[in-house]
Amino acid sequence: MTIDTSKQLYFEDVSVGMELPKLTKGPMTTAHIMRWSATMENWHKIHYDTPFAINHDKLPGVLLNGSFKQQWLAQLLKDWVGLNGWVWKMNYQFRAMNLVGETLTIWGKVTALHKGPDFGVVELDIGIVNQEGKESTPGKASVAVPYKGGKPVPYPFVPPKL
Amino acid sequence: MSVLPEAALKYVGVESEIEIAVDPVERGQVRRHAQAIGDEDPIYWEACDANKRYGGPVAQPFFPIHMFRRAYGTEDPVEANAADPDYDGALKVRGGLPEIEPLTHMPVMNGGSEIEFFRLAKHGETVKLKARYASITEKETSKGPIILVVSETDYLTGDGELLARQRHTRIRRPVKK
Repeated sequence: MTIDTSKQLYFEDVSVGMELPKLTKGPMTTAHIMRWSATMENWHKIHYDTPFAINHDKLPGVLLNGSFKQQWLAQLLKDWVGLNGWVWKMNYQFRAMNLVGETLTIWGKVTALHKGPDFGVVELDIGIVNQEGKESTPGKASVAVPYKGGKPVPYPFVPPKL
Repeated sequence: MSVLPEAALKYVGVESEIEIAVDPVERGQVRRHAQAIGDEDPIYWEACDANKRYGGPVAQPFFPIHMFRRAYGTEDPVEANAADPDYDGALKVRGGLPEIEPLTHMPVMNGGSEIEFFRLAKHGETVKLKARYASITEKETSKGPIILVVSETDYLTGDGELLARQRHTRIRRPVKK
């Protein structure tokens, strides 16, 4: 198996407080939202029908889907841990709406490290802020990362006992 | 005064039947998903060195969760509700669970999730799920009361290998008069 080790993250290179390279999406348009909704076969009008969203559901406009935003949190973590790591688990809340015109930054910050026998586990705070710095999707994640000179994280993934 | 109907609480603990996704993991659907989220990672395209570890081309981590669509021959809710100005188009059935009838008049929003990933679904694989309602509670917020509906769902391959386990919260919000 050929691995692009230049992009592989190793546990020894991670420290508490480290910030992940940020992922930026947007400015978001109705085309982005419609493309995602169509991909999901999600016909919920709050994602494309502005009069319905405002007049019927009393919203400020059409909304970005929560299901859309969660994809980016997974993308951020997947790209960071590299091919031999694994995105184990994540949680998040949709605490604020995101609307057309916003530019979103997906971020992560290391909060704790756990050394296991075969690989390490990294805990993180994660989230999505708009161009004004307002957080909409705060959450936490745990990812598994190999040791330098060690084996890839087992696949399929078997959760460790921490 | 509570906005949570007593009749809704009887849904806590209700389990779904095992539901099989209407289509297997389709290469074209994986592509549309990748392009929509802006993540055209080659592991999703076709067999390559990068996805050898997974046994070939795979779908995105969240992909299995979105595979449960309306099957041929089932009622078309868009058509059925075309004359209803209040129809919001929201997906009414999630995870094979029955709709919570006492809450159907309340708009729904995605309230967040917890998810564990164990393996990625490969192109061509069948995916199935089993779900249950874990809790239904009322919460007071600065914008008024909301109802939190929490469900737990296991996503598995057709052979029963666990792909992901999700705990999902949907928010039902009484409409302001």
